[in-house]
Amino acid sequence: MSRLLDAELTIQTMKLRQMGAKIKTINSKMCYVKFDISGFEVAYVYNINKDGNYFLERIKPYPLAIREFYDEEQVIEIIEIDLEQFKNAINSHNIQSFIDINRRLHQSIKKFEDLFLYYNVPQSECDRIIDLLDQIDAELKDTKLSSNRIYFRKEPENI
Amino acid sequence: MLGNTQLIVAIAIFTLTYVVIVSEKVNRTAIAIFGAVMMLVFNIEMQHEAVMHVDFNTIGLLVGMMIIVNILKRTGIFEYMAIRAAKYAKGDPWKIVFIFSILTGVSSAFLDNVTTILLVVPVTIVIANELKLNPIPFLVPEVLIANIGGTATLIGDPPNIMIGSATGLGFLDFIVNLGPVVIIITVVTMFILKRVYGKTLVTTDERKQKILAMDEHLAIKDKKLLVKSLSVLGMTVIGFMLHQTLGYESATIALFGAATLLLISKLDPEDILMEIEWPTIFFFMSLFILVGALEDVGVIHYLAEKMLLLTKGDLFFTAMLVLWGSAIASAFLDNIPFVATMIPLITSIGEMSSISITPLWWALALGACLGGNGTLVGASANVIVSGMLEKQGYKLSFVEYMKVGFPIMLVSIVISTAYLIVRYL
Repeated sequence: MSRLLDAELTIQTMKLRQMGAKIKTINSKMCYVKFDISGFEVAYVYNINKDGNYFLERIKPYPLAIREFYDEEQVIEIIEIDLEQFKNAINSHNIQSFIDINRRLHQSIKKFEDLFLYYNVPQSECDRIIDLLDQIDAELKDTKLSSNRIYFRKEPENI
Repeated sequence: MLGNTQLIVAIAIFTLTYVVIVSEKVNRTAIAIFGAVMMLVFNIEMQHEAVMHVDFNTIGLLVGMMIIVNILKRTGIFEYMAIRAAKYAKGDPWKIVFIFSILTGVSSAFLDNVTTILLVVPVTIVIANELKLNPIPFLVPEVLIANIGGTATLIGDPPNIMIGSATGLGFLDFIVNLGPVVIIITVVTMFILKRVYGKTLVTTDERKQKILAMDEHLAIKDKKLLVKSLSVLGMTVIGFMLHQTLGYESATIALFGAATLLLISKLDPEDILMEIEWPTIFFFMSLFILVGALEDVGVIHYLAEKMLLLTKGDLFFTAMLVLWGSAIASAFLDNIPFVATMIPLITSIGEMSSISITPLWWALALGACLGGNGTLVGASANVIVSGMLEKQGYKLSFVEYMKVGFPIMLVSIVISTAYLIVRYL
């Protein structure tokens, strides 16, 4: 099996090298981590390599961008805090709205990417999108001020 | 000779193990280890006796060559050679098939077949993709020629490693005795393959230009490592050619090359040793124990007597039986356990009769190695090609392969028959 995997990797890396890529292949272990919180699935994937680097990504209920860490304590702590926050969030009656909003934000990012990569968007339209994002940003800050804080172990990083 | 009960138990363990290996229902290494351990559990042989049956020359040679290849493949040399060859052929599909097949055959003579195929097939698939052609007409010739090329040398195919180790026949003995017939078989096979696939390999000039636009220099990953690896591989091949003169066993040469390269490559030995095919190594060790147990209880001696009775001690009939029997068996079964059993059998025939058994070793090597071309399951390299094609979305069926492979196998065994008759019988 590993021999076929190696061969498959050779096909991919040969094509990528011909495209001009520099490739470093590192032996590593991939872990899929799943939690079931009262029927609500929270899942992560992380990769450990022998250089001691960890690449962690949340895949469910919605994806969180991949981040690099340098020790296992950091990875476990991130998952632990994330899990505690989801346990809190699940008890909220807004959980479904929260997930729906998040999903729509992700879809909007994908649509924006298509717009950017496939069309020559006029500057006026870009300015309008920036205005709308500023409005959303202001709305998020207002919402924060009018909401009760429920998690205190760690300070929010982005708001 | 042990008691009757032990004789029956030993035969039962051996037969059951081989039946399960042949059925492919259970991993072959797992069942071989289980069978070997059962020989100890039932006191067919003691642990220290079992260990003595393991041919450490074969094991050392396999491990040594695996280490060298695992380092060599990190340099990108096979990708470089493939692109150079495809450009040399100016993107012409049949010329690419021809050059790649010959490269595969030559590489296979100096590296294990499976290893060669694992290195050559991925780059061939990339070239076939660029030409927008089905890779099957590229890969079937490659695997057939890999199995043929591997027949030519001591280190080209595991059956030859086992034969060489058990008999003391050296690297040059194999080249001198099997090289000529392998060249003839290669030429005839390429001619047949041209007739079979030549007309199906058509592409556009635009696709050929894509091949010419590829840059082989981008394939080289580490120039310093490439120089070190090729130097050590070259020294190792020279070492194989001189090992009998120098008085070294072939494993010593391979392990010296491996240890030197491991030291000068500055790569992490853990990464390299992790990629050794340990299941194959344990499979070999278990088979040596299983066959050794059968020898200890007298079964091999008994079978040798029966074979001599059948052939009346005639060298011609014995050689033909070994050649054709090995070829047909190897076309459908794993040739490694078959050869592991045949080696002590032929040795016993030599001890019990006055015939010169050296031609029988060549008959066994030719039958066991070339027989693997007969069907898709005949050789590990064929199975790997089929698996890789499936991953790429192409299906090479048992029948589709056999339509090409079986006639070529028969032709190669007919040529081998003529060669053995003219040269030895």
